[in-house]
Amino acid sequence: MNFDLDQDQRDAAAGAKEFFTEQASPGAARQALEGAGPVRPGRKALADIGFLGITVPESAGGGGGSLLDLAVVAEQGGAVLAGPSLVTAARAAVLLADQPELAAQLADGSAAFAVVDGSPDGSAPSIDAADATTFLALDGTALVVGEGEATPGKPMDATRGLANVRLTSRRVLVEDAGELWARARLAGAVVLAAEDLGAADRAVALGVAYAKEREAFGRPIGSYQAVKHMLVDAWAGVEQLRSLVWWAAWAADAAPEEFPLAAAAAKATAASALERAAETLIQVHGGIGFTWEHDAHLFWRRAKVDRFLLGDEAEHLDAVARLAVAGALG
Amino acid sequence: MDFDDTPDEAAFRSHVRSVLEQHADELVHVAPGEQSPDPARHEADFRRTERVLAENGLVGVTWPREHGGQGGTLVQQAIVAQELSRARIPALINHIGLGMCGPTVIAHGSDDQKSRYLARLLRADDVWCQLFSEPASGSDLAALRTSAVRDGEDWIVNGQKVWTTLAHVADYGILLTRTDPSRPKHAGLTMFVVDMHAPGVTVRPLRQMAGGAGFNEVFFDDVRIPDAERLGEPGEGWRVALTTLMNERVTIGGAGTDLGLSPEVLAAHARGRLPSLTPEQQALARQAVGRAVAAALATRYTGYRRFTVLSQGGIPGPEASAGKLGGTTAAKLIADAGVRLLGDEAVYAATADGDDTWQKTQAYLPGLAIAGGTDQVLRNILGERVLGLPPEPRTDKTAPFSGGAGRLSGRVDGSES
Ligand SMILES: Cc1cc2nc3c(=O)[nH]c(=O)nc-3n(C[C@H](O)[C@H](O)[C@H](O)COP(=O)(O)OP(=O)(O)OC[C@H]3O[C@@H](n4cnc5c(N)ncnc54)[C@H](O)[C@@H]3O)c2cc1C
Repeated sequence: MNFDLDQDQRDAAAGAKEFFTEQASPGAARQALEGAGPVRPGRKALADIGFLGITVPESAGGGGGSLLDLAVVAEQGGAVLAGPSLVTAARAAVLLADQPELAAQLADGSAAFAVVDGSPDGSAPSIDAADATTFLALDGTALVVGEGEATPGKPMDATRGLANVRLTSRRVLVEDAGELWARARLAGAVVLAAEDLGAADRAVALGVAYAKEREAFGRPIGSYQAVKHMLVDAWAGVEQLRSLVWWAAWAADAAPEEFPLAAAAAKATAASALERAAETLIQVHGGIGFTWEHDAHLFWRRAKVDRFLLGDEAEHLDAVARLAVAGALG
Repeated sequence: MDFDDTPDEAAFRSHVRSVLEQHADELVHVAPGEQSPDPARHEADFRRTERVLAENGLVGVTWPREHGGQGGTLVQQAIVAQELSRARIPALINHIGLGMCGPTVIAHGSDDQKSRYLARLLRADDVWCQLFSEPASGSDLAALRTSAVRDGEDWIVNGQKVWTTLAHVADYGILLTRTDPSRPKHAGLTMFVVDMHAPGVTVRPLRQMAGGAGFNEVFFDDVRIPDAERLGEPGEGWRVALTTLMNERVTIGGAGTDLGLSPEVLAAHARGRLPSLTPEQQALARQAVGRAVAAALATRYTGYRRFTVLSQGGIPGPEASAGKLGGTTAAKLIADAGVRLLGDEAVYAATADGDDTWQKTQAYLPGLAIAGGTDQVLRNILGERVLGLPPEPRTDKTAPFSGGAGRLSGRVDGSES
């Protein structure tokens, strides 16, 4: 058994960490929320470093990598609340598998894609839609591409680029695209879970650091079990989520029969793991944790938004149960 | 990344499988989803099972060859554990001896003790138990009061142990005693091997909340233990006990095997039961099933990550405690989902056809969150040793253990106030 990242993936993660730490930060996410700055690192930087095309075939100008390759990079983006989301890259790459020209535009960033959920005539809130120019949507059973009007709501988390979309033009790419659409949505869910993993891991690390430093009643607060145990539970949740994210991302390419169940388990677990980590981060910080200036609320905002994107916890738990009952566990 | 065995691991696994198939008739098995039978009631069958496995090299895999083991790797041991569970062979009767007592004898015993005990332990010729906890000392183990007083070539032991798993079938135990109450609590302890059939040892089974009696209280009334049965130096008992406790943490939940019923068993149960529920009940039950399956798989795959570390020659660290924490939680979610699927029958201790699998599992799991370190104690270990958080201040570490001194002379039992 070798249930671990390989050296290339470790290197990719280290490189991605360096890139994202330079290019994005929770502070930038706060500025974006205040309307005082762009979402960082932004599409161009992500395209230039090749992250938007990691899973796009080499023949279409991408990296030809696996979903796991993308997930380890996405985790690092999650740790600093980077945007736009690699969820869009993952999902669009699946949808554009037979569209090399469009896939090349995805990889090099020459078109700003968003994948819209719900009706193309008035979509549900869709990730990275606010500044997109090219929209992919499911129209009946057909996969269509087109231009559209995006109407952002007041953002809970500005890094997600959420907007409702109405397509103003459309061209059919694939007639019978139900299955393709579902697979793309699962790939997106796994990458979302990977970003949540990165965010949750960072939230726990920030909480642990503060608990070692801050003193109350003459000793560090991390020596109090009420604090210590809360952090341990959040940490254990992160480790469990990591296992599911790796398994699901690996299964997408290596064990397709396990993929739907693994992806649903990862997404459902991500929703609760990040929520717990973010709430723990705030609680451990006490009053400071509840201020606008502190980063804690930015992780909390991610958690509160991500849990609803691409299907909430209840939807994915239901899927896990249905698939398990249908025999997916063997 | 892959879930395949290396060629060596695959060869070892198929060897294990073929041994288990070849000797199937001589081994105890349980049906899918069935509870392990009571080892006390089926003692002879359980002892035979372990002997057959030992004769075929599947017991004490990592133990040194000179002590009857196989000199194998932790991965091989984990593979044996996986294959035993796959073949539905319940926990070996000597699991405490194998996981905790034997390794302690190997690390701290004399040559004479090793040659007398270890080979017999592996074959379950002797079953062992661990006599640590007392009515007033469980988590705070070093607060124990059972006394051992030197008398010529012997020690004379008085006191009481409690919750001693398997004491009612055990031939030997490792016994932690206080030999010097004037020293701080960790410093005055001494460990012995005790003959459970010696005069003055009384074992009283305790009925557990699930109804069965797997653990006991054990009374020591002027029990004579020869000095040759001491494990380690006088006053060094805490250091010896730490060997036992470290092995205990790895034994329970360290290898990623399911601690209760598996998600596969829950899925099969759900397949059978869901259609008989109302649509509203089905929707709620699916939430419970999904949550339990996701938690169990998360724990299982986290175990696979630890298994990978072993495959590459690493050793399990304190993070193994998270395996027990996660496994206990997942096992409870699975049992609760299983019970929920029974509909109205969920409130009875068995269904109309007499099946009590789910209710029984549910009633056995609270013990798992206590035995071998409570959930809280495991969280302390993880918080301090993995996350590096500061320890709690301790006032008891340096003071002499005088509090218990007065009581050390007499028998200490549960009726004392
Ligand atoms: C099924 C089963 C089998 C067992 N088998 C054996 C055996 O074979 N041999 C043996 O020696 N013992 C055995 N035990 C005993 C077991 O090791 C103890 O029960 C356990 O260590 C807890 O000790 P206690 O029962 O004295 O509880 P206590 O230590 O009194 O704990 C009571 C409560 O206080 C909490 N607590 C205690 N200390 C702390 C702390 N520092 N921080 C936070 N919370 C704390 C605990 O978590 C618990 O919730 C078994 C127990 C069970 C349930």
